Amino acid sequence: MLLQGWDREAGPRWLLDLGAVWDGRVGAWRLDAIRYADIAAPLSAAAEKAETVGPPSESFLDEVPKWRSLRWPKIDLPALREEQTAAVASWQASGRGLVVMPTGTGKTVVALKIMADAAVSSLVVAPVRDLMYQWHRRIFEALGYDAGVIGDGVHRVRPVSVTTYDSACIHMEKFGDQFGLLIFDECHHLPGQIRRDAARMSAAPLRLGLTATPHRADGRHIDLDELIGPVVYLQDVAAARGRTLADYDVVRIPVKLSAEEQSRYDELSRQVRSYMVERRKELPAYSWQDLCGDAADTPEARRALIAYHAKQAIEDRAEEKLRVLEDLFRLHHSEPCLVFVGSNAMARDVSRRFLIPCLLAHSRKQERLEVLQGLERGDYPALVANQVLDEGVDLPEVKVAMVIGGSASSRQAKQRLGRVLRRRGNTRAVLYEIVTAETNEEKRSRTRRRSDAYAGTKRWKK
Amino acid sequence: MLTREYALVAFRGGRAFPDRLTRRAHGHYLRYAEKALRVYRNGVGRTRRDLHRGVERAFAAEPDCPLRRIRAFCKLLDDRCEYDEDRRGAAAELRKAVFRAAATRHPLVRQPDRLFESGEAAAKAEIAAMLGRRWQEIDRDLFADVIEFQPLVSFDDLSGPAALLSRYNVAQAQVALFNAEKMTVWAGQDFKTILRHAKLARLMHTISRDGETRYVFRFDGPASVLRETRRYGAAMARFLPALLACQDWRMSANLRTQGGYRARFDLSPDDGLTGHMPAPNEFDSSVEAAFARKWGDEPRDRWRLIREGAVLHRGQKVFVPDFTFRHEDGREVLLEIIGYWTPEYLAAKAETLKQFADRRILLAVSYSDRKELPALPSDTIHFKTALQLKDVLSRLAERSEPRAAAPPAAGPSS
Repeated sequence: MLLQGWDREAGPRWLLDLGAVWDGRVGAWRLDAIRYADIAAPLSAAAEKAETVGPPSESFLDEVPKWRSLRWPKIDLPALREEQTAAVASWQASGRGLVVMPTGTGKTVVALKIMADAAVSSLVVAPVRDLMYQWHRRIFEALGYDAGVIGDGVHRVRPVSVTTYDSACIHMEKFGDQFGLLIFDECHHLPGQIRRDAARMSAAPLRLGLTATPHRADGRHIDLDELIGPVVYLQDVAAARGRTLADYDVVRIPVKLSAEEQSRYDELSRQVRSYMVERRKELPAYSWQDLCGDAADTPEARRALIAYHAKQAIEDRAEEKLRVLEDLFRLHHSEPCLVFVGSNAMARDVSRRFLIPCLLAHSRKQERLEVLQGLERGDYPALVANQVLDEGVDLPEVKVAMVIGGSASSRQAKQRLGRVLRRRGNTRAVLYEIVTAETNEEKRSRTRRRSDAYAGTKRWKK
Repeated sequence: MLTREYALVAFRGGRAFPDRLTRRAHGHYLRYAEKALRVYRNGVGRTRRDLHRGVERAFAAEPDCPLRRIRAFCKLLDDRCEYDEDRRGAAAELRKAVFRAAATRHPLVRQPDRLFESGEAAAKAEIAAMLGRRWQEIDRDLFADVIEFQPLVSFDDLSGPAALLSRYNVAQAQVALFNAEKMTVWAGQDFKTILRHAKLARLMHTISRDGETRYVFRFDGPASVLRETRRYGAAMARFLPALLACQDWRMSANLRTQGGYRARFDLSPDDGLTGHMPAPNEFDSSVEAAFARKWGDEPRDRWRLIREGAVLHRGQKVFVPDFTFRHEDGREVLLEIIGYWTPEYLAAKAETLKQFADRRILLAVSYSDRKELPALPSDTIHFKTALQLKDVLSRLAERSEPRAAAPPAAGPSS
């Protein structure tokens, strides 16, 4: 951001305090775009009163904001709960700050409401590409707006866009003046030598940070005050509900499928479900085994079984899951990670793609020990294991874990991982659940998952 | 041999029908079988998974062919193969080297950018250069010790596609017998051969007379045995092909599936299954053959070993010893070797032998765990894997009246 009109000597004290630097080549003061709000207000107020703030200015020309007001095609949000309304109101008091709420408590709706009300060019920044796509979907469902996508080989900047932290910090200098509202999802990922540019290079006066856990092990979370704003809303779970939180957050990442795969997936799911529902009308206890047995005899059962297998095949899509893993490894590149998958084949695929050691169901004891110790000692950055590993195998304690799957068996995997995810000091651990893109069923189950946030026995302190 | 996961059986009206391919209904399978054989014949160096896929492709024109049947073919073909199982652990060593080298370049990203410069492709190329091999080879060998990726070393070919199909039929019959509680065989002219192979397989049996020249074998089935069920099942499965190679017999087995369903499985030479006699080395490695080899041709302590055992009859009951020991002075001692047993079987055997109380009969009973030796009839020798000459000789030396006056058995000597 350039401030023209004052020469080098004339720059007032407060300008220097904001970190302005004189750029002799262009004869102007240079500041980080983030400073926009800090200088635009006083300068324009002074210009209105026609006071001289320094020779020889008479007026204040603000060419920075390229963002504009929007009109949403529709506003279709669920009814907000009390806490969500309170969060929105707290943020709207200053327009800059963090909303801290546990995962699974509906932070997205809070953000969408804020976006709806602000009705200004907005940019949503997500930690991984597949969550970026999820935001895209949610914005479209709630506001009828087809947001631009910046990242993952796409560069489509629209007044409302979604992006990732990595893409944002690389590209923000090009469009830092185009958005009036920045929303940082899982904003505890923002502070960081390079990633902070995503906030620094934007002039947006309105900033929202969403997180369940602002604290970082490296203490850099205090930067969030400057990069986004102070905590404006803190959901005090313990007091309000008398419940306690687990040591770790569960972040669910639905893998994005292409539009036709998604609709095919939904159709196949519907076929299987409707068959089971039909059969259960006569036989309430009709089970999966019954379907497999019937498939030999009845054509309808056979079709339902074929639909199930086709659905499974889409779910097993390795490519997309590998993409999510890459993004998560990028996000947590300096922390040891533990990945659980549902099959030996998947474990090998992950191992060969990222060249990290893997533990298969029948790995030899010697190799298993070497790998586990290697992760603990830091010789290996990450490890992938088939979740059917013998219960007796001692997994090392980590702070970051990923489970690929979403079926019942991965519930056990999650429990097992839950036991090794430990809080270290004030920072919480995180378990990422990578699942196939949402069907309507999964949207319904979102309400069920809220209870996951409250599993466990440790109290959550600020 | 096939295991339960490959079994295909149809149940109708209380009878069991293991999957069987017939020339009339499945003549076209010869074409697919030939293709499958070719996959293996030309498959040296290819991985097990590749070969299985090749076999699946061979049956692609037959969408109704159950996957299980195709998998069974793969299993039967694999049984004739030697795969490189990487006993040296080369794959594990390679993994360690590769993963350690990659650790400093984590995460390997598809598209390198300002933030993460270690592109996947570049990193792999660097590591390949470091190890002095092409990445393609490394990728192929990284998990070469996993069963699916083991490469084929050699394949023992079959005479043709018909051989594969007929072995498949026999294999399905064999695996069906895993669920047999009881198996009855009616035999005529080939009674001795059938008995020989039953004893070779060490099956639990009783024999009775069925008219002048016919005999009935009653075998305990694997499903009636609590311990070592798998091994006993395999033993019974080994017996079947020999039975199939004989003439003039009929078999009926009472099956009890794991779900508790009961059905009868009948078989006779009319069913057209092709049998084959076990390989010679199966004879040679048997307990009796080993014992006879050790004994040699000469008498020991004036006892001569006679292998061609007499068939003894007492009314309906039949007893065929494994060995007859004849002393110079004309005394005879008979010996039967018992491999698999249950307490009930031994009790039944003891009852049978009461019928032959006029003869002195030794039982040699195998055991794996000292603790499990039950109370046994007096004239019994225990052995673990090999029947010891000295145990037999010491027992022969005991001058005893048959049965009643026999002193308690001395403990097993190792």
